[in-house]
Amino acid sequence: MKILVVMEQRQGKWNNTSFETLVAAQPIAAAASGTITAVVLGKGVAALADEVAKKNTAEVLLVEHDLLENYTPDAYCVALKQVVEAAKADLVLFPHTYQVRDFAPKLAASLGKGMVGDCVGFRSEGGKLVFVRQMFQGKTAADVTFTGTGPWFASFQSGAFRADLLSAHPSGKAPVNSVRVDLKPEDIRTKPLERFKEAKSVVDLTQAPLIVAIGRGIKAPENIPQAEALAKAIGGEIAASRPICDEGWLPMERQIGSSGQTVAPKLYLALGISGAIQHVVGMKGARTIVAVNKDENAPIFEIADYGVVADIFELIPALTEELQKAKG
Amino acid sequence: MHIQREQLEADVLIVGAGPAGLACALHLANLIKQHNRSGAKPELSAENVYVLEKGRDVGAHQLSGAILNPKALRELVPDFETSAPLDTPVTDSAALIFTEKSSYRIPITPPPFNNGGNYVISLNRLVKWMGGLVEAAGVNIFKEFAGAELIYEGNGIAGVITEDKGVDKNGKRKDNYTPGYELRAKITVLAEGPRGSLAKKLIGKQNLQNINPQTYGIGIKELWEVQPAKISPGYVAHTLGWPISTKMYGGGWIYALREQRVSIGLVIALEYQDPRFDPHAAFQTWKTHPFVRNLLEGGKLVRYGAKSLPYGGWYSTPRIYVDGGLIVGDSGSFLDSQRLKGIHLAMKSGILAAETIFEALKTGDTSVKTLKLYKQKIDNSYIKDELWKVRNFHQGFHAGLLDGFFHSAMQQITGGSGLIDPMRTHPGYQAYNQIHGRPAPERLKGDGKLTFDRLTDVYHSGTRHEEDQPCHLKVLEPSICGTRCAEEYGNPCQYFCPAAVYEMVKENAGLKLKINAANCVHCKTCDIADPYQIIDWTVPEGGGGPNYEGM
Amino acid sequence: MNIIVCIKQVPAKDAPLAIAGNWIKESDIGFEMNEPDSYALEEALRLKEKHGGEVAALSFGPERVKQTIKEALAKGADRGIHIADDNFAQLDPLGTATVLAAAIGKEKFDLLLTGLQSDDHGFGQTGVLLAALLNLAHATIIMQIDVQDGKMKLKRELEAGWFQWIECPLPAVLSIQSGINKVRYATLKGIMAAKKKEIAAVTRQSLGVAIALTQKIEKIYVPTKTKKTEFLTGTPKEMAAKLVEKLKFEARVI
Repeated sequence: MKILVVMEQRQGKWNNTSFETLVAAQPIAAAASGTITAVVLGKGVAALADEVAKKNTAEVLLVEHDLLENYTPDAYCVALKQVVEAAKADLVLFPHTYQVRDFAPKLAASLGKGMVGDCVGFRSEGGKLVFVRQMFQGKTAADVTFTGTGPWFASFQSGAFRADLLSAHPSGKAPVNSVRVDLKPEDIRTKPLERFKEAKSVVDLTQAPLIVAIGRGIKAPENIPQAEALAKAIGGEIAASRPICDEGWLPMERQIGSSGQTVAPKLYLALGISGAIQHVVGMKGARTIVAVNKDENAPIFEIADYGVVADIFELIPALTEELQKAKG
Repeated sequence: MHIQREQLEADVLIVGAGPAGLACALHLANLIKQHNRSGAKPELSAENVYVLEKGRDVGAHQLSGAILNPKALRELVPDFETSAPLDTPVTDSAALIFTEKSSYRIPITPPPFNNGGNYVISLNRLVKWMGGLVEAAGVNIFKEFAGAELIYEGNGIAGVITEDKGVDKNGKRKDNYTPGYELRAKITVLAEGPRGSLAKKLIGKQNLQNINPQTYGIGIKELWEVQPAKISPGYVAHTLGWPISTKMYGGGWIYALREQRVSIGLVIALEYQDPRFDPHAAFQTWKTHPFVRNLLEGGKLVRYGAKSLPYGGWYSTPRIYVDGGLIVGDSGSFLDSQRLKGIHLAMKSGILAAETIFEALKTGDTSVKTLKLYKQKIDNSYIKDELWKVRNFHQGFHAGLLDGFFHSAMQQITGGSGLIDPMRTHPGYQAYNQIHGRPAPERLKGDGKLTFDRLTDVYHSGTRHEEDQPCHLKVLEPSICGTRCAEEYGNPCQYFCPAAVYEMVKENAGLKLKINAANCVHCKTCDIADPYQIIDWTVPEGGGGPNYEGM
Repeated sequence: MNIIVCIKQVPAKDAPLAIAGNWIKESDIGFEMNEPDSYALEEALRLKEKHGGEVAALSFGPERVKQTIKEALAKGADRGIHIADDNFAQLDPLGTATVLAAAIGKEKFDLLLTGLQSDDHGFGQTGVLLAALLNLAHATIIMQIDVQDGKMKLKRELEAGWFQWIECPLPAVLSIQSGINKVRYATLKGIMAAKKKEIAAVTRQSLGVAIALTQKIEKIYVPTKTKKTEFLTGTPKEMAAKLVEKLKFEARVI
């Protein structure tokens, strides 16, 4: 089986989840006796291709073109279609990024094939490749298999695999081969303009991979900044159970639960949340749940992966400090 | 601030798509169809009949045990046996006496508890089905719209103003602010169920009360899926005794439906003396009785709900007609408290209201001159027949169960008059004893498998409300809560609300009332049972409230 | 501007799910408009208010989805299209899009809008696939649409708080980000007017469309927690350190 892993970069900087996809490809290659080929698209990205070549991949395809410098779905699809066909790929894997969501289904459709997106895992069962994804906003998991012939297309959810588990290339470096693609300006219909940063007016917790949530245990609005500092240290979003938002201590968009958002992040850190069912249904699909509560019988511990029975006001500063240490 | 409202005119406006409101709509639509077919003038249209339903769907707020006496449905839909979603006919009627450890079945089931010929149903499903018939007949049912205010005109009413939508919790208009409509109608029918919020205001304003005030009970229900062979479909049981003290009026029910579903619940009259009595906790405790525990063993909670019911009977019936308006169903007190049956009476009142409205539409007179015909029809119907016989029933229990049985026996042999006729009553909220410093009871935690705390149960009611809206529970004098009420009665709202809406929280040195309005299941218990009568239940934004699928 | 909005009807968000094979039992649960699609519909209605034209609401599924089409009509859509199919839940993204494209293919429109993904399947591919099948320009996660002189400037959301403007021609397919507007209420007048609006009925057969599935959902299940709760011990400082280590190396989430 020939497996292609399409890496993502923007202006010379990696989207690191690409490496997670390379990791994901390893067991699939093992199960299907396949080889892994990484694909790097862009302009002036030879150095990036060299970087990937040092990882455990059989080959790196460097696809460069002026019109690939700035992402457009048309350019990526036209180029990758040629790459996939020329490489005779059986399976094409992507990290499930905003960008991939924008073009990968179209790429698959252009070859008359289907894509299984946002997978959280994979297994081999009786010779079949079974991709696992979430349905009903994380309330259920679904086993999906491909029907018909390849190439098949799939993307993996950020955090489903661990980028740091990617081993180095056994003999130092894989061959980097340049691929020529035919791409004309009239192929591209949309024109990307400037990118800019903006404080988001609407927070979409459903897209946050890391969430720090506070409950009644926070006791007073004056205590919220320390939870926010913890969220910042972890690189996550602050969220809350209903009572906090009811009081107006945090805006309603931050509410998690049956009457707020339903989230399924990589990490959900519940601070001073008892675990009433109204809240739990909004977050029990989280991959890793850490609960901190001074009541060891709090129902939240029933669904937590890690439990810390402690006073949140002692744990929050300690945790923030440890996180800052780990970063720096 | 004057709000510009769009105006709409209807011939007939029915507030509430429950069994009474929908029976009225359907019967009226049928009468109109026949009328038009015969070529009679003036030509009428079912499309000028509007029904407002505050729930997200027709049936969403419908809750009852329920056992249906089909007589009214038979009149409305003659082929109901094949077309209506009746779950199962009653196959066995049991009256059980519970003591703490045992249960005893009364050998001959007393007549009020004998339900032969009746059906165990899901009222939600029945009403949904009725809604389908009503819409097929051309009537407009507007879901997620509530009647927020009455339009008064002269001595009567001329329609309603629907609720404003898109107002934030601070009263400010949101981007999608949509003011309520001024919905005028020649005749407005109030079909809001027990303690209707518009009916309450109309009755107060126009002094429509009868010699007795309305008294109420609260019904708390759970729908369970039990292990196979635990119970046979059609088995219905009513329980008396444990854990309800003999000083209180109440009892449990167990109704077996098909597909291993069981409806269980407890009704308790809201006139008990202990202001910190917790009806929900009593229900959870009742479930631990060996009989019930065994039934529910290995089973699963499917849904939860609660609703008040009008116990006052005939002498609590308000005047049910005003210029341009009629009151039907539970708001009109059409419930037989002895047999615990109100659905067929609600439907019948709707049918009779429809006949009256039809006359009014034909002649063009919508004043009490024509509308009093409704009252005459009620008096000449089986509604009065049934309710007259039990007109003093509930009042007889004022001093407790034993007194009640005695009075009831007397009433049985005297066609309802008993020893005192009419037997007077007081509003339930006047029954509380002051707490005199007694410490607060511990709250029930629930074991999460057989018994549940209120929050877990509320979750299973499917209740949701638009979060960012003004609180719909208006407390007219909140300063009483943390002071007088805390001292005199220990804040009963924390105990009688089956949805954990009301909480007293510490603020500085005292207590403050916190209202979790989003939990509200629209049962109206707070409006009924608050000792100072300062809680005014008003309609939240339409669509909010419970979702009683299958209940 | 003539706009077509693809709207899906999904099980109510708070409906208790009873799993049956690779789907759920549909009895005794409510259905509602897919929330992400309601933002797309709202956006379409706002564009119509600004630029004139017409909005058509398209939905695919059993008879019950007409209720959702009616809701769209009540909010201001001008007409509806119902692709009747009882087996809709079994289709894969490409199959769904193929049928939708066949229904849309006969229409004249400037914009085709979808929500980002559905609350049930959550494939998130419909908009992009429609663009591919109809050979139109497209963009996703759109926060803002400015139309001028037959062209569009779109604000697109990227990860990590970044945004981008893109120029896009018309006609095009756009997937609308959730929460970008406050969805309007259906008014009484709107609900009544909706009764008179047309809902065209089509089927896979009447469209003459054949599909071959590219993927199959074998089964769905509630993910069981294989791990037991691991309680950390020690002083807060010690537990904090242990926790960070676990999160980094064991759970590998940070």
